[in-house]
Amino acid sequence: MQNFIPTRRAAMALILAGTALTGATGQAVAQDITLGALRLTSHSPTYIALERGYFEDEGLNVELAFFESSAAMAVGVAGGDLDYGVTSISGGLMNLAQKGAVKVIGGALAEDPDVQGHVILASNAAFEDGVTEPAQLAGRSFGVTTAGSSFHYMLSRIAEGEGFDIADVQMKPLQKVGAIIGALSSGQVDGWAIQPSIGKRLVEEGAAHKIGDLSDYAPDYQVTAVFTSTGTAEGEREQTEAFLRALSHGVADYNAAFVDGTADEAEVTELTEIVHQYVSTDVDDARFAKDMAEGSMRINEGLSLSTSSLQSQLDWMQDEGLVSGDITLEMLVDPSYVETN
Amino acid sequence: MDDTRPLPRPRSQAGPGQTAVAGDAPGPASGPASGQTRPVRFRGGGFQPVPVRGAAIVVFVVLIALLEIGTRTGAISNLTMPRPSAVVETLWSLAASGRLWQHLAPSLMRLAVGASLGAVTGIAVGTAIGLFSYARAGLVPLISALFPIPKIALLPLFVIWFGIGESSKYALIAFGTFTPTVVATFGAVDSVDRQLIRMGQSFGLSWWSIVRKIVLPGAFPGILSGLRVSIAIAIILLVAAEMLGAQYGIGSYILEAGSLYDLERLFAGVTILSLLGLIVGWLIGLVERRFLTWRS
Repeated sequence: MQNFIPTRRAAMALILAGTALTGATGQAVAQDITLGALRLTSHSPTYIALERGYFEDEGLNVELAFFESSAAMAVGVAGGDLDYGVTSISGGLMNLAQKGAVKVIGGALAEDPDVQGHVILASNAAFEDGVTEPAQLAGRSFGVTTAGSSFHYMLSRIAEGEGFDIADVQMKPLQKVGAIIGALSSGQVDGWAIQPSIGKRLVEEGAAHKIGDLSDYAPDYQVTAVFTSTGTAEGEREQTEAFLRALSHGVADYNAAFVDGTADEAEVTELTEIVHQYVSTDVDDARFAKDMAEGSMRINEGLSLSTSSLQSQLDWMQDEGLVSGDITLEMLVDPSYVETN
Repeated sequence: MDDTRPLPRPRSQAGPGQTAVAGDAPGPASGPASGQTRPVRFRGGGFQPVPVRGAAIVVFVVLIALLEIGTRTGAISNLTMPRPSAVVETLWSLAASGRLWQHLAPSLMRLAVGASLGAVTGIAVGTAIGLFSYARAGLVPLISALFPIPKIALLPLFVIWFGIGESSKYALIAFGTFTPTVVATFGAVDSVDRQLIRMGQSFGLSWWSIVRKIVLPGAFPGILSGLRVSIAIAIILLVAAEMLGAQYGIGSYILEAGSLYDLERLFAGVTILSLLGLIVGWLIGLVERRFLTWRS
């Protein structure tokens, strides 16, 4: 390298060599996969499987790519930058599935009537003004990230369960969870539904009041799903099965430690530390351990998938005109990998 | 361009008078020296753009036709670009269902209020900077400091100050149009012909009279071309402003389409913004023609 002369031709050669190299590794036997992740506790199994070597045991060399939102991750998989992703089921995912770009291959986070799930919150101001039950959300404002997001769907379940028209609720799209937290704490939106880890903290900090549980309205709600590109689902069966096995192993550890409470204390501490390396790194250890212990929702054992919940979410989005009426469950799901119900 | 080259070029310009000079090296200057006169073409025409009617339309039509053919044949995947005809259909159904107006009305309101707030204060501050030394010394560094701040980054701050209602959207757009308008305005005031101002002074015009009759009319073309940029920025910021708490609006429509990965709606929304930009540009062109006829 000492007598490397930076000419235009040398630069071109370097670029060509670089592309040749990356092209070669892509075809090699070593299974390098890129996995999309969000810095949320619901992605704990990914971190557990990675740190405990479950992916390596299956011969997978996993690299994580972090995303800000689930919508961006879905596009990442469709565009071929990611091999697998775990994200909330959204209109974006369905539209991409319709274009033949992605397939749901498993289920992850889900409501379980026996476990604390999504909590329905009211801002302090709204609570004092009489919004003490989900039924009183009619005529109020409700925080969502975007139309067609999981928050929008949850609102629709509440509206249907309480028998009010969703059009009576002013939906406030605020793009990011952080923005909704700010708006709810300062009373600029009246209601919200959110995962327990965040919801409980808001209630304890006195920033909002809990007014209900989503599981009363959507008991089998499949919140997030594992998905991949259609090409990978159809053409890389062995690799995909290995990936799901490794991730399921992480799920089993997670459920035992945080949801069912069947793991011993040392195990819980170890897993908490693993997750804390990736999630809420600015929160102190004790606080984080408490959030994990009290606010973890169930992730389906073996990544099984509730297709009935998926169907109802699809129906709702089609009724709302958010996605095309031509989309079918078959376009969205490849049911050959995990147990479905 | 060729005319600026000092050496005559026998192959392309072999006029009857020139062939004789071709052997002498230094070009035009050698003409008189050799005692010959030769006709010289007028070279000082400058670069005069000639209006070519329809060229823009041809470019648009060719691009859109290529896209349409590409997406229909599958050469362009439906993941990368939507089919133009599908975008038009989406636009049409948006208009037919009345939802277009539902989205357009609040956006136009936000643009009108935000951009006029920003433009009016921007022109006022810019003129003050142009006219008063203290204003210039005190404000130019401040404006330079404010200009490069991405206004989108301040969105959370605006929400704290103004809430998630309409006022934060007005404020964001106003702030975004303010700084470029100030810069364009004081630049325009600075470039007013000094000779004219001196003439006014020597004719004994009052300060106010000079400002009103010489400085402001002289700065007007510059201010208007600055407004073209500022209002384009206002349209860009409309999408950012509607990120927070807007249920309706072209920006929120685009953001929703993006999160749904619905390319037809996304492009329909973007098309509306482009048309908005075209209309604003055309309106400013009208104002220019109405008020600036004295220039020619």
